[in-house]
Amino acid sequence: MSKIMPVDILSSIKGAKSSEAVDKLFDVIKNAEINQNSSNQNAKNAVSIDDLRADVVENSSEITKQIIRENFPKEKDGYLVVSKVIEG
Amino acid sequence: MESQIQKIHNQLVAKEFTCTELVKEKLALLKENKYNSVNTVLEDLALEAAAKVDAKISKGEEIGLLEGIPFGIKDVYMVQGTYTSASSDLLKKYKSAYTATAIQKLLDAGAIPMAKENCDSFGHGSSSENTVFGSVKNAIDTSLVAGGSSGGSAVNVAADYTVFSIGGDTGGSIRQPAGYNKIYGLKPTYGRVSRYGLMAYASSTDTVGPLAKSIEDVAIVMNVMSGKDPKDQTTILSEEIKQNIVASKPEGIKVGYFKNFIENDAIDPKIKADFIATIEKVKAAGYEVQELDFFNADTLVSTYYTLAMAETASNLSRLDGTNYGNRIEDKNLKETYMVTRSENFTEETKRRIVGGNQVLSQGFSDAIYLKGQELRNEIEAAFEADFNKVDIILSPVTPGPVPKIGEVLSNPHAMYLSDAYTVGFSLGQLPTLTCPFGTETGIQVTGAKNKEQTILQFANFLNQVK
Repeated sequence: MSKIMPVDILSSIKGAKSSEAVDKLFDVIKNAEINQNSSNQNAKNAVSIDDLRADVVENSSEITKQIIRENFPKEKDGYLVVSKVIEG
Repeated sequence: MESQIQKIHNQLVAKEFTCTELVKEKLALLKENKYNSVNTVLEDLALEAAAKVDAKISKGEEIGLLEGIPFGIKDVYMVQGTYTSASSDLLKKYKSAYTATAIQKLLDAGAIPMAKENCDSFGHGSSSENTVFGSVKNAIDTSLVAGGSSGGSAVNVAADYTVFSIGGDTGGSIRQPAGYNKIYGLKPTYGRVSRYGLMAYASSTDTVGPLAKSIEDVAIVMNVMSGKDPKDQTTILSEEIKQNIVASKPEGIKVGYFKNFIENDAIDPKIKADFIATIEKVKAAGYEVQELDFFNADTLVSTYYTLAMAETASNLSRLDGTNYGNRIEDKNLKETYMVTRSENFTEETKRRIVGGNQVLSQGFSDAIYLKGQELRNEIEAAFEADFNKVDIILSPVTPGPVPKIGEVLSNPHAMYLSDAYTVGFSLGQLPTLTCPFGTETGIQVTGAKNKEQTILQFANFLNQVK
């Protein structure tokens, strides 16, 4: 299988292709000059380890669960029905 | 203009009208939907909340400043049990299972939620025409666009349908519609207000902020919404904005402006002349004003859109109709994804998703996405250097006047370029306030991170000398 995926498959949008308006923006970036001495801001924008949320499971309220079920596009006996993964 | 929140608060306490009467009057205006500014009217929620406020007043209990104040919510915020459509077909019937932190804080303070407001779909636009609920019309001239993406929010405030509204700003989506409808709009420092419950567009620049008719009201709402939130790990600590300081004359402030924003062919001559006149007034008031060098508009816009498209392609990949949304069934799961997304996203949203996947894909990521990230680092470093020289940066909101309805979406590249003066401050994660004067589309007042109090104070001074 080819490793290169076309953009319509990547985007899950039928017939998707690149647009001239967007390509013009990308051309500006391709041609831009980068200052090699620019400081790295990534470390400054990173979230501190002290601010990370505790890795615990929180139970949703009954009303939240009820609305999540209401939002199911297809439902049977209280369960979400998904599409067939493989064509039979 | 005086604080509308304070004025209505005083009238409620003095029993000039009841909160229910006030809310009913605003609901009637919102239901009329004269400007297409509303996606859903929250009638039951609003009347229930108003009755609670009236009960407190009739018992002689004290009410808080925001209790009983009607406000609007851009239709990208979760409010439990209400439709949150992002102005899209995909989520037109999607119900929020929980409430966004910023909105919950306002509800806890007693503010009355009135409507979910029309906007560009998923925040993708600068005119509020990219919406399945019909183009939002400008509050001052209905032949013009409302601006975007928080167009409905700006119009509802300008038309007095809401006292304030909560918009979202990723690259200018609060500031530009505020300018187009001649009201105030604040994009806070990134992280000052929790993004939990905001439908993500570009997570690294998404911010939550108020639109209102007075600087005082912007400060009141910000003080309620700000603060760290364990549900959004990018939130930061911030200090209260003090109204007495905002009202005082700013002392020892150095002002700058980007000369290349003004000295170019793209800016409208009237906007340029009006902006220069404002700078002269600032100088005449005794402030030192410096010309600053900055990146050109093409680089700012291209860097912003490259990163924003990559982030939105990633954020919206979850919208495939499996767990929620308007699923369109096809022969198998893959085809169901394809048809659901193709039929339910607007053309502009699809353009941005495709652009994002392009720059993230093999062969493009080094040349475009990673280079865009490096440019962003340079832009942030340039802002840091500028704020070592000055305290405030002034700039126009847009290079051109307010466009007519129908002119914007037909030329996406021109639409992207119209964001030239707003996107840089988003990349820098800086607080910026649009003031409804200075040029036809307003003036932006920007400070260093967490300097909201300083920019509101300087805006208050500008309001006095305008």
